[in-house]
Amino acid sequence: MTQRENVNQAGRVAPAPTGSIREVEPLALLEVEGLAKVYRDPMTLKPFTAVNGLSFTLGRGEIFGLLGPNGAGKTTTIKLILGLAKPTRGMIRLDGRDPRDPEARRRLGYLPENPCFYDHLTATEYLELTCALFGLDARAGRRTGATLLERLGLAAHARKPLRKYSKGMTQRLGLAQALLNEPTFLVLDEPMSGLDPIGRAEVKQILREERTRGTTILMSSHVLAETESICDRVGIMSGGKLLEVGTVPGLLATGVREWEIAVESLPERAAAELSAAGHRVEPLGTRWLIHVVEGPALQRALGLLTQSEVFIHSVEPRRETLEEHFVRALSRGKGNE
Amino acid sequence: MMSRVLAVARNTIREVLRERIVLVLAIFGAALVFASQVLSPLALGEGKKVVTDFGLAGSSLLATLLAVFLGSSLLHKELDRRTIYAVMAKPICRAEFLMGKFLGLWTTTGFLLSGMTLMVLALLTVVHHETPWILLGSLLLTLMELGIVTAFVILFSSFTTPGLTAFFTLGVIVTGSFAEQILYFGGQGESSFVAGLTGAFYWALPHLSTFNVRGMVTHGVAVPPERIAFGVSYALLYMGAVLTIAGAIFERRDFR
Repeated sequence: MTQRENVNQAGRVAPAPTGSIREVEPLALLEVEGLAKVYRDPMTLKPFTAVNGLSFTLGRGEIFGLLGPNGAGKTTTIKLILGLAKPTRGMIRLDGRDPRDPEARRRLGYLPENPCFYDHLTATEYLELTCALFGLDARAGRRTGATLLERLGLAAHARKPLRKYSKGMTQRLGLAQALLNEPTFLVLDEPMSGLDPIGRAEVKQILREERTRGTTILMSSHVLAETESICDRVGIMSGGKLLEVGTVPGLLATGVREWEIAVESLPERAAAELSAAGHRVEPLGTRWLIHVVEGPALQRALGLLTQSEVFIHSVEPRRETLEEHFVRALSRGKGNE
Repeated sequence: MMSRVLAVARNTIREVLRERIVLVLAIFGAALVFASQVLSPLALGEGKKVVTDFGLAGSSLLATLLAVFLGSSLLHKELDRRTIYAVMAKPICRAEFLMGKFLGLWTTTGFLLSGMTLMVLALLTVVHHETPWILLGSLLLTLMELGIVTAFVILFSSFTTPGLTAFFTLGVIVTGSFAEQILYFGGQGESSFVAGLTGAFYWALPHLSTFNVRGMVTHGVAVPPERIAFGVSYALLYMGAVLTIAGAIFERRDFR
């Protein structure tokens, strides 16, 4: 490829305009285009569409959260991306390759949902097996494995059979085996599942460190608050379809939902006038909270409170949380069906 | 490629050895060999033959049953418990995974078979003061037969349930042991369709009787080297063909 050629987001080469040198955009690590998966009941042959017309790309070094209720098609999408299932329609390119090509998975780490590993092995033995499957040098792999077990708080349990592991410990081991090959692409299906708050904080820290290292992370999760705090972009899925994709601030950019005015005391007359103007007034301990929905009305409400000589403690805009947006997107999606 | 196959094989051996049934069958096998010695006085001077025949047939039967009943659930367990997901997300082909499973199962059952045959050999040496090394020829051919059976277990388990895998494999063993008889009886009728069908069966089924030289070694006749060479080549080619089909089927399978 010459410098005069241009590579777009989907990794395709387009001729550069003559007489100019354009900046080359990095190739997308993952491209998914028009992806669909239809399963058939083995007895009745009745079709069931698990994923329908999914398209998105993942750039390098970003954390992408796949959100959706149970049965939305998140795990099927992940299986298709990993080559564990074959798409009925559409295309997936993992670093430019078909994910069913083993080479495409050489720098990939995967943590399954509710992971289950060979319970006749110990954590050390499982990591040795993982090392052999990646074709890594056994001695170097053992060292990396020991470091990962230490980092994930499993060093003391390294020689314990996996059948004696708790759910949280299995989840941590799942993360250790996913990180063993120093992946450039991490696929995590419900990584926070089964972890206590400390464990979740540790996993979030590890994910941030991996992003800093340049690793692309695709994670599915039900824990929306945590997804919101670590994901650069999210996709909301329902009924096998991707309803929305975007950055968290971008998706929530519908603006301020309402303003909350906290006041120390509120005369009855002022409260009545505010309620008459359509604002919700509620007591909050020794204070009062006034909810104002529209921007222009805020000025009028503040004017009224100033005239009434009320001490205004704070005025805070309240934006939509990802959880609220998620619920709204799902109900909108259902409405469109 | 080989390191990944061997890693899966090692793991399969560990997994199989953990099953209690292996220990039970090993003890049962040892008991069977020694029981043949207990029965040998009833054979009116033919005790050595009874020990040899009984020991070799018993070890072959136990190893085959172990391959069928343990092997038929091996792959199903991986899919059911979803341990396969984390493995197949690594840079390994599905055919390599199946090959590893096959090698692990064949090695384990092969060890059981070899152990029992060596026990027969040791018993004959100690009790009858004779070491019939010709038993090793029979051992090699029975190992090959076991390889074919194991390959069929892997083939059927790549697309069906453990129960059906065991059923189909036992069907192949029975029909494969009587392949020549099937061809003979098919040719006796007047229908050319039946004759053609039995002919097709004859060529498709593994000729397991090729590997049965127990009668020969029991009577002290050494297995001719050309028969061993033919048996080994035939078995390796047959295993290769069955595993190739298994790999192609497993490659198309979706993990749900």
